[in-house]
Amino acid sequence: MSAVIETEGLGKRYRTRWALAGCTLSIPAGHVVGLVGPNGAGKTTLIDLATGMLKPSAGTIEVLGGRPAVGPAQLARVGYLAQDAPVYAGLPVADHLRLGAHLNPGWDADLARRRVARLGLDPKQKAGTLSGGQRAQLALSLAVAKRPELLILDEPVASLDPLARREFLQDLMESVAEQQVSVVLSSHLISDLERACDYVIVLVDSRVRLAGPTDELLATHHLLSGPRRDPASLPDGLQVIAASHTDVQTTLLVRTSRPVLDPAWTVSAVGLEDLVLAYMRQAGPAPAAPRDGHRHLEVRK
Amino acid sequence: MIWLTWRQFRAQAITAAAALAVFAIVLAATASNVSGRYDSSGLLTCHGDACSGLASTFLSNLASGGGSFLVPGSPYAILYFASVLLILIAPAVTGVFWGAPLIARELEAGTFRLTWNQSVTRTRWLTVKLALTGAAAMAVTEAFSLLQAWWAAPIGQAVGLGGSSSIFSEGRFGWFVFPTHGITPLGYAAFGFALGVTVGLVSRRLIPAMAITLAIFALVQFVTPLWIRPHLFPTSRTVTTFAAAGANVRLQSNPKLAITVSAVPGQPGAWIMSSDGINAAGQRVSAIPAACELAVSQSMGSHRGTASGPGSAAVNNCVASHGIRVAESYQPASHYWPLQWSETGMFLALALALAGYCYWRVNRRS
Repeated sequence: MSAVIETEGLGKRYRTRWALAGCTLSIPAGHVVGLVGPNGAGKTTLIDLATGMLKPSAGTIEVLGGRPAVGPAQLARVGYLAQDAPVYAGLPVADHLRLGAHLNPGWDADLARRRVARLGLDPKQKAGTLSGGQRAQLALSLAVAKRPELLILDEPVASLDPLARREFLQDLMESVAEQQVSVVLSSHLISDLERACDYVIVLVDSRVRLAGPTDELLATHHLLSGPRRDPASLPDGLQVIAASHTDVQTTLLVRTSRPVLDPAWTVSAVGLEDLVLAYMRQAGPAPAAPRDGHRHLEVRK
Repeated sequence: MIWLTWRQFRAQAITAAAALAVFAIVLAATASNVSGRYDSSGLLTCHGDACSGLASTFLSNLASGGGSFLVPGSPYAILYFASVLLILIAPAVTGVFWGAPLIARELEAGTFRLTWNQSVTRTRWLTVKLALTGAAAMAVTEAFSLLQAWWAAPIGQAVGLGGSSSIFSEGRFGWFVFPTHGITPLGYAAFGFALGVTVGLVSRRLIPAMAITLAIFALVQFVTPLWIRPHLFPTSRTVTTFAAAGANVRLQSNPKLAITVSAVPGQPGAWIMSSDGINAAGQRVSAIPAACELAVSQSMGSHRGTASGPGSAAVNNCVASHGIRVAESYQPASHYWPLQWSETGMFLALALALAGYCYWRVNRRS
C-alpha cells in the first residue's frame, strides 16, 4: 500500500506567520506515527491540513491518495480525534453512538457497543459528565467504529492523568492490532508515545526536523563520548546533532549510516526520548538534506 | 444528519409546540366571545354610513368592557396586543434562540470537529440544519399569525368598515398589523433565523451572537415600515379638498403648514403616506397663509395643544378658502397583496443570501 499522508512543500500561513512551512513528507501505511514537537510547532496545523479542517496556503497534501475531506467517501476513510476530545455535553453516550451510526455508512455498531461496554461507560450518562479519560475514550470509540483506514489523533492524552494515558494508549494499540489501521498521533512529549509508535516525525518551529521509522532512527544515531576535541575534526559522513563539552570530555550525538570505528570514542546507543529531545533543541533552520556534513550545535545538559 | 438535527433541536421544538398550544387554547377559548359580540353588534345587517358608527361602538365596547381585578382593562385589548406583539417578536426569538446557536454553539464547544469528520460533508450538514430548523421557525411564526388572524377577524372587519376606537384603529397597513399578518411573518422568520445563524458563524461566540442578532433584527423591523415598505411598490397620488380628505391643519406646527388627513376619496382602506398643502398652480405651500393668523391665534387660545377641534375648523376653512388643496400620496388597498409579496420576497431573498454566505464560510477552511 502507498503513503497514508503525502505532502509536497506543504505550508499554512496565518496573515504573516507561517504555522507550517516547507513540509515534505511521505508516511507509509501500516505504521503508528508519533508526531512530536513543542507547543506551537505546527502539529495541530499539520493535522488540520490532513483532516481537511484547513486548506493549505502552499504546496499539496494527499491523504490515502485523495484530497482531504473532499467528499463523503474520503471523510469515511479517515477517523479523527480532535484535541480535548470534543463531544456533545448534552447528549448521552448512547446518542453519540447513534450519531456515529447515522452519519457513517461503514459504521460498526457491534464494535462500538462492545468498546463502550468494555470501557464501562453508562449509555444513559450525559457525555458532559464523563471524566476526561472517559470522554477521550468515547471520542476514540466514535473514530474507530467508523472503520477508517487512517486514524488521526491530535494530542489525545495531553489532558489525561498518567493512569488514563496508559489505559488510553493500551486500548488504542489493541484497536490498531485488531483493525489493521494506520495511526498518526501527536504529542508534545515523546515519552507519551514512545511505547506506542514505530515511526517518528519531529516538528520544530513549523518545520519537519526529523522523520523516519523508529528502529531505523535508533540504528543510525549514536552517542559518542571521549576526550575533549573539536567536532570539526570528525570524519565525513558523521552528522553531529548535539554536542556537549566539559573541560576534559566531549559527548556527541551523531547520525551516521556507518559504524563509528575511531577507538578514541566510546560508542553507546541512544534512547528515543533523548534522540527526539536533541532534535527539538536544535535551533535555526532544518538541515536541507539528511547528511550534509558537520553541523555543530551546543547543547547544555 | 436528519436524526442529529432533530436530536439537537428536540428540546426547542417541544418548547415551541407548547407555546403554540397555549396560544391556541387561549385564543380558542375567547374567540367565540369576540365573534359573538360582532354578530350581535348589528354590523352584519348595516348599510352605508351607519356601519362605521356601529363598528366604532363594537370596538369601543371590546376595548373597555370586561375589566377585572386580575386583568385591569379589557382582556380583549390585552389579548389583541399581546398576540400581535408575540408574532412581531417570534422571528427575533427564533433567530436568537434557534439561529444563533445553530453553528456558534458547535464552534464554541469544538463539536464541529467531531461532526465535520463523520462521513458527511459540511455542505450537507449545513443544508439539513438550515432547512429543518429554518422551516420550523417559519412554520411556528406563520402558525401564530394565522391563529391570531382568525381570532381577530371581527376586529379587522370592524376597522375595515370605518370603525375606530382609542385602541383598535390600525388598518391592514398598520405598523403592527402589516408585518404580523398575511405572508410577511414567513419572510421575517426566515430572515431572523438566517441572520442568527450567520452572526453566530461569524462571531463564533453564542452570547454576543444572540445580542447582535436581536439588535440587527430590531433595527430592520424599525427601518422597514419607515423607509423600505413605502417604496416597495409605486405610490399613487391624488389632489382633493380639505373636506374630502378629512383634513386638519396641525396647529402645533404653526407657522409651518402641516396637514393630517384621515381618508383618500374613493379609496377606502388606503395606506396614506404623506399629505401636503398645494396651491392652484400645484406648488407645495409650506406656511399657513398670513391672513389666517387670527383664526390660528383664536384656535390656539381656545384649544391649546390639540391638533383638531371645533375651533380649528375655522383655520381649516380659512386655509381652504385661500385656494389651498390637499395632495395625498398613498398605497391603495389593492396594493396590499403586492406589498405583502414584495416584502416577503425581499426578506426571503436576504435569508437566502445569508445562507449562501454561510455555505461559503463553512467551506472556506482558513
